[in-house]
Amino acid sequence: MSQLTDRGTALLDGLTRRIGQVLSRVEEIGAAAESITGAARAAGRELRRADFAGVRPLAASLLREQAGLVAGAGVVLAPGVAADAPRAIEWWWADAGSRISQLHVDTDARSGEGYDYTTTEWYREPERTGRPAVAGPYVDFICTREYTFTLAVPLHSAGQFLGVAGADILAGQVERLVLPGLADLGRVAVLATGRGRVIASNTASILPGTVLRGPHLPAGLVPVAGPDEGSPVPGLLPWTLLSTS
Amino acid sequence: MPRSALATVRSRTLFAPLDAAGRAEAVARRLVQAITLGLLLDGECLPAESELASQFGVSPVTLREALAMLRVMGLVETRRGRQGGSFIRAPDQLPATHLEPQLRLLSVLELRDIGDHRAAVAGAAAQLASQRALDSDVHTLREHVGRLRGATSLTERRRTDARIHIEIAAAAQSPRLTRQEMSLWSEVGDLIWLPVTGDQVAAVTAEHEALVDAIGQGNPDRARQLAERHVLAETERLIELRLGMDTP
Repeated sequence: MSQLTDRGTALLDGLTRRIGQVLSRVEEIGAAAESITGAARAAGRELRRADFAGVRPLAASLLREQAGLVAGAGVVLAPGVAADAPRAIEWWWADAGSRISQLHVDTDARSGEGYDYTTTEWYREPERTGRPAVAGPYVDFICTREYTFTLAVPLHSAGQFLGVAGADILAGQVERLVLPGLADLGRVAVLATGRGRVIASNTASILPGTVLRGPHLPAGLVPVAGPDEGSPVPGLLPWTLLSTS
Repeated sequence: MPRSALATVRSRTLFAPLDAAGRAEAVARRLVQAITLGLLLDGECLPAESELASQFGVSPVTLREALAMLRVMGLVETRRGRQGGSFIRAPDQLPATHLEPQLRLLSVLELRDIGDHRAAVAGAAAQLASQRALDSDVHTLREHVGRLRGATSLTERRRTDARIHIEIAAAAQSPRLTRQEMSLWSEVGDLIWLPVTGDQVAAVTAEHEALVDAIGQGNPDRARQLAERHVLAETERLIELRLGMDTP
């Protein structure tokens, strides 16, 4: 059991380091957005959506550098932060030919029909905890149209919550990163989120996207490694590795 | 079947000119959609027929046929002379009067087929969602159903309804089913609330509530059955309305 825990922890640590690389680039995007805000406020100028075009080069370089793993990146502003838009998504994505395009989303709050992102897990969690969060996996029907995680960090200026900077990470790519390690464990092994959603497993009887609970929790499956303080980026991945002991 | 006859059948089905099978209707449908969505505005002049025909990839004859259909509906006016051309006629009207021409372009067979496709997608999505949704997913669905209850216009109902079905497919954790719902709703979504009037509005809203309840209770069989019945009832209403259009 303890050897299994060591190997499981090593697997999670490797994954955390890989996603930690994305985190540090997202933090750079966040810092740029915060300094754009700070500069405008110091000059007594109203913030406009167009000001945040300044983060585009950082988002584009993240998309190029992590092509395959990261499918979208940018900044999402809290309601009222930009003077010219009640809600604003400044987000870029790369198509199959690695061309970078800006995402266009109807965020018009007035009609009550626009996309309200303030209720999503990737927006709420960093807002609530003040810390980076990896939300999902979920079907992202706004940007990637794929099964996706969103890594999001909170943005602040003078103690005020400004929104989040983030990156979309494709769930299929995360699976590719962990499957060899799961196979190496030599027994049934499942990676699941803190809410029990299966991210990847090495058996066809437990499928990604399903939830481990009640009748679906296969007998004999127990947590063998999980979020801990010794992690390369503590608190980043609230994920648990389960296996048969 | 003799070889030559088989070859004839084959060449007829494989190489039948595209113009033959409802191409004009398809072009007309796209134009009506563009007018309904406000992409083509009242008074706007359409490009020259030859240019428009090549844009749609149809022959000029087919295009003229499509324009004739729009003319009959009063959505296009053709003027002759130097200042001539085909002009869009889309004065402000109730949404319903914009949508009826769109429905008229669909045959009953097409409506039935779209309904079958929608029922298959919605049924599978509801079944899987009831097995895979977390409490937070169900909470989101209930919020949208609440919005549907409070909706006051046809457009608002249609958009909230679309969102509910797309969220159910997302709760099923299936990008493919989600994309299917998105494309089905952008194709025929405008029409779905068209035949729903009076007391039916509350009844159709209640169908969504019952469906989301079944998903929340984790009851896959009931969720699938409710979703299928819901879509089939919608299809039936649309077909009745469509049939009424040809009744003198």
